[in-house]
Amino acid sequence: MPIRSLWTLVAPVCLAALYLVTAPAAPQAQETTENPFTTNLDVRMGQRVFRQQCGRCHGRDAMGGELGPDLTAGFRNSSTDAGLFSIVREGLPNTQMIGISRRSTDQSVWMVVSYLNSLNETIAADLPGNTANGQVVFNGKGNCSSCHMVNGEGGRTGPDLSRVGGRRDPVELVSDLRTPDEDVTPRWWTMRVTQEDGSVVEGLRMNEDTFTLRIMDDDENLWSFSKGSVRSFERDETSSMPSVEGTLTGSEVDDVVAYLFSLRREEN
Amino acid sequence: MKRLAIIIALLVGTVPVLGQETESQPGATPSFSPVTWERLLNAKDEPHNWLMYSGTLDSQHFSRLDQVHNRNVSELELKWAYQIPQLDRAETVPVVVDGVMFITEAPSNVVAVDAATGRQYWRYNHPLPDDLRICCGRNNRGVAILGETLYMSTLDAHLVAIDARTGNLVWDKAVADYRSGYSKTAAPLIVKDEVVTGMAGGEFGVRGFIDSYNAASGELEWRADTIPGPDHPDNQTWAGDSWRTGGSASWITGAYDPDLDLVYWGTGNPGPDWNGDVRMGDNLYSDSALALNHDTGAMEWYFQFTPHDVHDWDAIQVPILADLNMDGQDRKVMMWANRNAFFYTIDRVTGEFLVGKPFAKQTWAEGLDSNGRPIRVPNTSPTPEGTLVSPPVGGGTNWFSPAYSPRTELFYVQAFDGEALYFKRDEDYVEGDRYTGGGQQYNLPMDKYESFIRAIDPKTGDLRWEYEIQPRSTAGLMATAGDLVFSGSVDGYFYALDAVSGEELWHMNVGRMVHSAPMSYAVDGKQYITIAAGNVVYTFGLRD
Repeated sequence: MPIRSLWTLVAPVCLAALYLVTAPAAPQAQETTENPFTTNLDVRMGQRVFRQQCGRCHGRDAMGGELGPDLTAGFRNSSTDAGLFSIVREGLPNTQMIGISRRSTDQSVWMVVSYLNSLNETIAADLPGNTANGQVVFNGKGNCSSCHMVNGEGGRTGPDLSRVGGRRDPVELVSDLRTPDEDVTPRWWTMRVTQEDGSVVEGLRMNEDTFTLRIMDDDENLWSFSKGSVRSFERDETSSMPSVEGTLTGSEVDDVVAYLFSLRREEN
Repeated sequence: MKRLAIIIALLVGTVPVLGQETESQPGATPSFSPVTWERLLNAKDEPHNWLMYSGTLDSQHFSRLDQVHNRNVSELELKWAYQIPQLDRAETVPVVVDGVMFITEAPSNVVAVDAATGRQYWRYNHPLPDDLRICCGRNNRGVAILGETLYMSTLDAHLVAIDARTGNLVWDKAVADYRSGYSKTAAPLIVKDEVVTGMAGGEFGVRGFIDSYNAASGELEWRADTIPGPDHPDNQTWAGDSWRTGGSASWITGAYDPDLDLVYWGTGNPGPDWNGDVRMGDNLYSDSALALNHDTGAMEWYFQFTPHDVHDWDAIQVPILADLNMDGQDRKVMMWANRNAFFYTIDRVTGEFLVGKPFAKQTWAEGLDSNGRPIRVPNTSPTPEGTLVSPPVGGGTNWFSPAYSPRTELFYVQAFDGEALYFKRDEDYVEGDRYTGGGQQYNLPMDKYESFIRAIDPKTGDLRWEYEIQPRSTAGLMATAGDLVFSGSVDGYFYALDAVSGEELWHMNVGRMVHSAPMSYAVDGKQYITIAAGNVVYTFGLRD
């Protein structure tokens, strides 16, 4: 299932993300300290501070930017409020992540921590669908698992959905199912390559740059081409996934949405 | 000065080849010789050296070496790599003097290496405080050299003089207070016996300036404020006291015309960047090209590209100077592809606007009037909800060096056909804190946009050719006498195009984002081409 707007999670420059993956752990001095500023007002104030001081690198809405990674899909360098506090306050050594302004108060930093936590909270939702039924439809009538992997089971020709509930809300999931062509992540575009001998290779666009491209064909073969060595290549920016319209009933769609929304880090 | 004299005297006694100004001889240790002002003036006559950030005082970023040319460039191979011991992406353009290369590193360090092997002579690590105010990474873009001294900007807003033979600190001058938001990242420019240098900090509510320092003593000779004070009529282009916190930084290296004795320098965005409500007016001299008399720092003329900018479209580009015959008339011109997506050719004697056309996608101006002033499209200012405008904050191009070839008479530039949502918010100024008044967000994945190397005829502004870069580039360019244009891309390629046709002739996967500009030099008669990618400096040459 192509994930509408998934690009906002993966498209920002990976450089800074790489730094964070390989960076040493943040200072632990605050590990035992609890966040004293966690009200809704604190969250809003933290958002304001974040946009002023962090948004340039991490994006206005913390979904990743030119230098900083997405902060809405979990944190790689800390699992505690105190750890987040340390990173925001001090930065991460040997990375481009610098600490917040020295003039910022501890209160402001705690508010930023509250704001970041709010972006990663599970959305409370009272969904009409049945999760168990949704899993049955996903793996059966819907034929979703032929393309999508969940926790290591399923196909390879669509995005891995093991944690899709953490990044897509129910409304977005319904849209993904009913109108998959609306906005397709570039990773799931299709490319058609005509080689010099006239043979054609077509598959999912795994990666493309100025001089080369790499695709996976329907048989899950991996291909790499030099653009200068093929006769032509074309992009198809539509989704290879069919809409569920006409295939699933309304209640089945609700069930699948309930199942997909249940797939997130905690459940894994 | 006394200490410098002693150091030099000691070196004279221990370095037998001091004073030799020719290329190093085969089998001999590369020799470094003092770089006089005359050598800098005539830098094009010693193309085996790259004596300043943009190669020559006219900033053409053009190498007159032609051993590597458009018929043998496919034979380039890696000669050496120097790993910078910092993870930050490198933005350095090295300087090479007689076989010695000077590479700046993040955060504010410099290393001298043998230009033929990349092996180190010495390094200088500048001590920095731990509460720096830097907006956009721990960057340093290069050194300047005069005599036997290197000059470097530092992130704590200092200008330092470093002995080129040893890396010893000669003097250290605080240019401004970093705690107020000032920093320095650009390579200085030597003019006669002075060091001309700008500053950064436009996102912190600073007030910009361009300085000239005595190269020997470090004493300030003059300061040109890029925002006029209340005793100047142009101060009225800032509402109220907004001029005090109006930005207009000067964070890329300028150019110099010795015949006119004019220094040319670009200025950055007015602050706060995206909320212009608090600084109504044209906000002079932000987003402008300035022509300064070198002896006094007095402004001869200015040309403002984007009056009352609300999109952060700095005029922080390297000015390229050339003499062109336009419509039968010989003109001393300055060429400028601006972040606002328009290309300009300006008479550099008078500041007269000659040519102006978009070179990248733009939706904010209907065009330019007869004086080069933009005719704005209504409702393109940032809003709390977001306003979609081209170009994005990164601009049609940005600070990375363009290039000009006197052989093809073409101007080469990275162009980005993107767009972004611009946001505005209220923000109070607090000294030393960010003061931007908004932000931007791309509304589509980067792969949906297009980026190109574009070759522009500066006499008309017309496009001669373009080469698509997928997905985009934030690298500078170099043109060469071998009719080549070298550049890089964010996806980690370094490549060469035919300067006449734009055809791709060679490329190499260097693994990481290229965020610097190429340069070229020769040692022992062999031409080398150097580029920094990620945090590695790569040097290429023809197969032996």
